[in-house]
Amino acid sequence: MTKAWLAILAAVVLLPLVVRHAIATEIWIFAIFGLGLNLLMGYTGLLSFGQATFFGSAAYVAGYLLKYYGVNVFLALGIGVVVGAVSAAAVGYLCVQRSGLYFIMLTFALNQMFYFTAYQWTTVTGGEDGMPGIPRPSALGLDIHRPLAYYAAVALLFLLSLWIMKRIVESPLGKILQAIRENELRAEALGYNVPRMKLAAFVVGGAYSGLAGVLYAMLFGIVPLESIGFVFSGNVVFATLIGGSGSLYGPVIGSFVFIWLSESVSTMWARWPLLLGVAFVIVVLFFRGGVVEAWARFWAWRAARRAPAAVRIDAPR
Amino acid sequence: MPLVRTERLTKLFGALTAVNAVTLEVEEGSLHSVIGPNGAGKTTFFNLLTGQHTPTSGRIVFDGRDIAGTPPHGIAHLGIARSFQRTSIFPTLSILDNVWLATFARQASWRGLAWRRADRYPELTRRALEVLGEVGLGEKASLPAREISHGEQRQLELAIALAAAPRLLLLDEPAAGLSPDETQKMVALVRKLKGRYTIILIEHKIDVVMTMSDRISVMHFGSVIAEGSPTEIQRNPEVRRAYLGGVVAT
Amino acid sequence: MKTGLLFSQLLNGLATGMLYALMGIGLSIITGVLNIPNFAHGALFALGAYLLYTVIQLVGNFWLALLLAPLGVGLLGILIEYGGIRPLYKAGHDYQLLLTFGLSLIITEGIIIVWSPVGMSQLPPPLLRGGVDLGITFYPKYRLFVMVAATLLVFGAWLFLEKTRYGAIMRAGIEDKEMVALLGIDIHRLFTAAFALGCVLAGIAGALTAPIRGLNPWMGVDMLGIAFVVVALAGLGNLLGSIVAGLLVGLAQSLVALVWPEASVAVIFAVMAAVLLVRPQGLFGIR
Repeated sequence: MTKAWLAILAAVVLLPLVVRHAIATEIWIFAIFGLGLNLLMGYTGLLSFGQATFFGSAAYVAGYLLKYYGVNVFLALGIGVVVGAVSAAAVGYLCVQRSGLYFIMLTFALNQMFYFTAYQWTTVTGGEDGMPGIPRPSALGLDIHRPLAYYAAVALLFLLSLWIMKRIVESPLGKILQAIRENELRAEALGYNVPRMKLAAFVVGGAYSGLAGVLYAMLFGIVPLESIGFVFSGNVVFATLIGGSGSLYGPVIGSFVFIWLSESVSTMWARWPLLLGVAFVIVVLFFRGGVVEAWARFWAWRAARRAPAAVRIDAPR
Repeated sequence: MPLVRTERLTKLFGALTAVNAVTLEVEEGSLHSVIGPNGAGKTTFFNLLTGQHTPTSGRIVFDGRDIAGTPPHGIAHLGIARSFQRTSIFPTLSILDNVWLATFARQASWRGLAWRRADRYPELTRRALEVLGEVGLGEKASLPAREISHGEQRQLELAIALAAAPRLLLLDEPAAGLSPDETQKMVALVRKLKGRYTIILIEHKIDVVMTMSDRISVMHFGSVIAEGSPTEIQRNPEVRRAYLGGVVAT
Repeated sequence: MKTGLLFSQLLNGLATGMLYALMGIGLSIITGVLNIPNFAHGALFALGAYLLYTVIQLVGNFWLALLLAPLGVGLLGILIEYGGIRPLYKAGHDYQLLLTFGLSLIITEGIIIVWSPVGMSQLPPPLLRGGVDLGITFYPKYRLFVMVAATLLVFGAWLFLEKTRYGAIMRAGIEDKEMVALLGIDIHRLFTAAFALGCVLAGIAGALTAPIRGLNPWMGVDMLGIAFVVVALAGLGNLLGSIVAGLLVGLAQSLVALVWPEASVAVIFAVMAAVLLVRPQGLFGIR
């Protein structure tokens, strides 16, 4: 496991040397977004199709405060996390009480509600045009306007977020959520209040989405309407899926793949949703475990080739 | 004083009376079996005790308190644990984790719920390993639960219930699907538990039931048609009729 | 407020409400039988509208288009189920669901590429142009037609589900798939049939809508959310529930549009949230 951390640290250090600072920053922001979703999707087995609700809400609220009230950047981040968590608590409260199918539909439907509200409330959100002019105030006297400086700040926040998520998934709560994924009825019979646990996971996911949202707003200086829309929700599901939802680090890898894909396409062609749709279909039909599983399978295959004489015990599925 | 008692416990699903005015008393430390043909309502009866269904009418009194209507996640905290007829475990989690989760749930305080590393609860891990040792799965603690045989999974099923340190143990056909050898092992296991726990046992294998039970209730079409000691039940003509066909008691 | 305007909006609410019910029923059948929320349902609705438009362009006959467009969507549905959803049966519901999500994007983008990213309009057939004097107000003939047509279709769906053998099998499939398979019914064919039926209903709803509000590639996305609302309120396979929920939502939307037009779409979801707060199981569901 320390190998993974070394790899990530290396990536953090080397990435700005390889790609534009803004892209590199976007990768870590998306990784934070994905970590939040993965707690729900990978660990608890809850497929949430409305994470953009919390991402976008936090971006709009924090962006508004940054733009019109000139709040301190730490306050903005804190507000983003809180808005993400609170909106997730409200949405989650309605969603976790119903079973899987309804849960999925409700996360999508409530996402639409927030989207339409943002679309119509043009005086506050700017509607279709989005909310431009989001400043990036200095942090502790350090100017983070320079792309590299902002990159460093975001990367640090990402590492912190990753560490916190690691603690959560290795804690009893992490195990309880996995138990809920495996067998809800039994988890309940053991004495766990399943809806409450699901809500807890939902709120944590929302907090992470909120943080990512504020960082995104400050990166591009604008909160676009899309950031609260269903395609965005689909983006993070895709990124988590292609990274491999079975592991903690999956969303990190997924973020790399997703950002690389979206950047290389959008410069050529405006039809990003089409590519996303096709990518979804291909991944779902052929690469279900995502990159992490493909990687694991590759190593297992290599290990098997190296020891042909050894007795092959059935590898776990 | 009986540890658990039901009074005219009834459950209707629309027009179907699944459990009909079942009255039952179980003394603390005793083993009370519930037998009856398939569809007699035995599992539904368990479901009422564990809160999966709310009774249509009647009472469930546990340790002097009426617990009817307690939600399933509250039942565990009262000290009632259950094993399921169809194996209900957490397949991808390790055997140790399966049991550990049961011990963790019963703690008075959930300190460090989202923060402390799960393997840093030495007391709970020790208890979990102890329970696994009791059912004979101690060696396999680190394996994912789906990798053990069906018989071993039934042992795990029992271990999960035991790990909650309950006062009342509800065992729903623990020997379901087991070979004769495995059934012997399971019977020996359950016999070891007698006295330490109050047990209500649903079982089909009559010989198992006859040798172990202090009292037996026989259910048929949702009602209790006979109750008594094993010898009394063996001699009861109603019971014979219910099991062997012929004119069915209404 | 003028009673004429209020009455108009009431009728509008009923018309859109029945369309919402139709969408809800189609989605409910697919979701109930296949156990996946069909994320492509909205895009298929849109496709129904666009196919109607093209058939009219080609042959000039609205009624023929109204017949062919839903069949076209149904055909696509069969292809999707057979080529995409069925192969993923072993992989699990989540992957089948994600497939429908990917397809929704592909279909919507496909519409943009094949037809146009810009909205288009479609006139009602000559027979149904203009309005009719209802005393209190003058009301468009076509919208009355849609109200009647949608009601008939919903009734037809009810007849099918409640009174025919195939309908009974489908309802059984929603309740207990294992039992249906044990009874010797080919479960995979049931899935295909259910999916196709849902698609046909979505397609016809889309085709009926085109002359009312025109066509644009994102008409499906908006509709998908509403369809989810109807199903969440009604419960799977609950026909009566879908009608009640659809009408509730349609009327809420059209009446709110009178006083606060900007909120008229968001109010649909707000109504859903309000109902679920009080009754988490929906209007008719059991806990």
